[in-house]
Amino acid sequence: MIKKPVKILNENGLHALPASRFVKLADKFECNVILEKEGVEINGKSIMGILTLACEKGSTVILTCEGKDEKEAFKALRKILEGQD
Amino acid sequence: MSFVTVETLFKDKKEEFSLEVVVGESYLRDKKISTYDIFRPGLALAGYTGYFLSERVIIIGRTEVSYLKTLTKQLRNQRVAEIMKLGTPCVIVAKKLSIGDKFKEEAIRRKIPILRTPMSTTPFIHKLSTYLAYKLAPTKFIQGTLVDIYGVGVLFMGKPGTGKSECALDLIERGHRFVADDLVKIVQRGDILVGSGAEKSAQLKHYIEVRGVGLVDIYRIFGVKSVRSHKRIEIVMELVLWDETKGDFERVGIQGKNKKILGIEIPRIVIPLTPGKNVSVIAEVVAMNYLLKLRGVHPAKEYNEELKRILAQMEAPTSRYDEEIE
Repeated sequence: MIKKPVKILNENGLHALPASRFVKLADKFECNVILEKEGVEINGKSIMGILTLACEKGSTVILTCEGKDEKEAFKALRKILEGQD
Repeated sequence: MSFVTVETLFKDKKEEFSLEVVVGESYLRDKKISTYDIFRPGLALAGYTGYFLSERVIIIGRTEVSYLKTLTKQLRNQRVAEIMKLGTPCVIVAKKLSIGDKFKEEAIRRKIPILRTPMSTTPFIHKLSTYLAYKLAPTKFIQGTLVDIYGVGVLFMGKPGTGKSECALDLIERGHRFVADDLVKIVQRGDILVGSGAEKSAQLKHYIEVRGVGLVDIYRIFGVKSVRSHKRIEIVMELVLWDETKGDFERVGIQGKNKKILGIEIPRIVIPLTPGKNVSVIAEVVAMNYLLKLRGVHPAKEYNEELKRILAQMEAPTSRYDEEIE
């Protein structure tokens, strides 16, 4: 399991477009993906969950990947949160 | 542990309680209230400070103010200093009474804010305690979909892709009311659980993601009758893929399973999914069956009682019967 804080550096925060890129990518991996903000955990493969979290630019979320391909998943998903994809 | 800052209390209830700050505007932010217990310091002012808990809000009413007046100045100052030293998140004075300078002096020394309300002491205590209990209630966020079916709050749970959102959509189309999809905020209120959406803004509520379509605004498509902001959760309906249930699901409906959420038991029904199964009709039946049970009617039990009665009346096979077979 990889569980690390990631800072949202995406311009305008995690709005619909980066969020949908995030879930689409998360869906491609086998591992479980969990995002946590202010104590609220959501499934990283669910768009409504991510949008409901309302992650603004500069905020910190905890990204957890757990499963077979967790390393690749964490690396790729982190890039989206940091706006580098 | 959950808490409310005195600043939040002040902002939320400033108008309703007509609160004003007497001392320590700048202390509000750092002072945390972590219990809805309220403390009236009558006995403490009389000199008994046993069982004093510093996390409780202190309310000063007419009794306290007039009692202090009966003391000598020296004794009064000593007692006031003592309770302020023991500590509290804040002191609230009811009935807009004026309190002595010693209170203000100690408040500044200990950085304890003093607020004041024109409300009468007892009604104020009830309202404050209710507000604090509401703010401090145990809360949990759960992945699921909450729909009000015939007035029964049904929380759908299950892995992503088991069709919770689609089922909600179908139920809304049938005239039921949608509460929340995907992330449900559950708050414990006494011995019941209340669910609502977890969105940070009212405008973001009542959306559903339908796979392949995207976000759908339920309120604007189906109208005001099709949504509600929160609902007591009475049944948990878990959607599970058929092969994952391993045949372990209810066949008669007598045993009944529960799911524990925030320490409260909620009836749990596991529905195995198979192609062509109409989950929304099943959900309606589950809700109606629950309503019957609330009225004391238990169909599965009644069926079994009648079956047992007939079985007891039936005669055991006679030997003649055996001969006939031969």
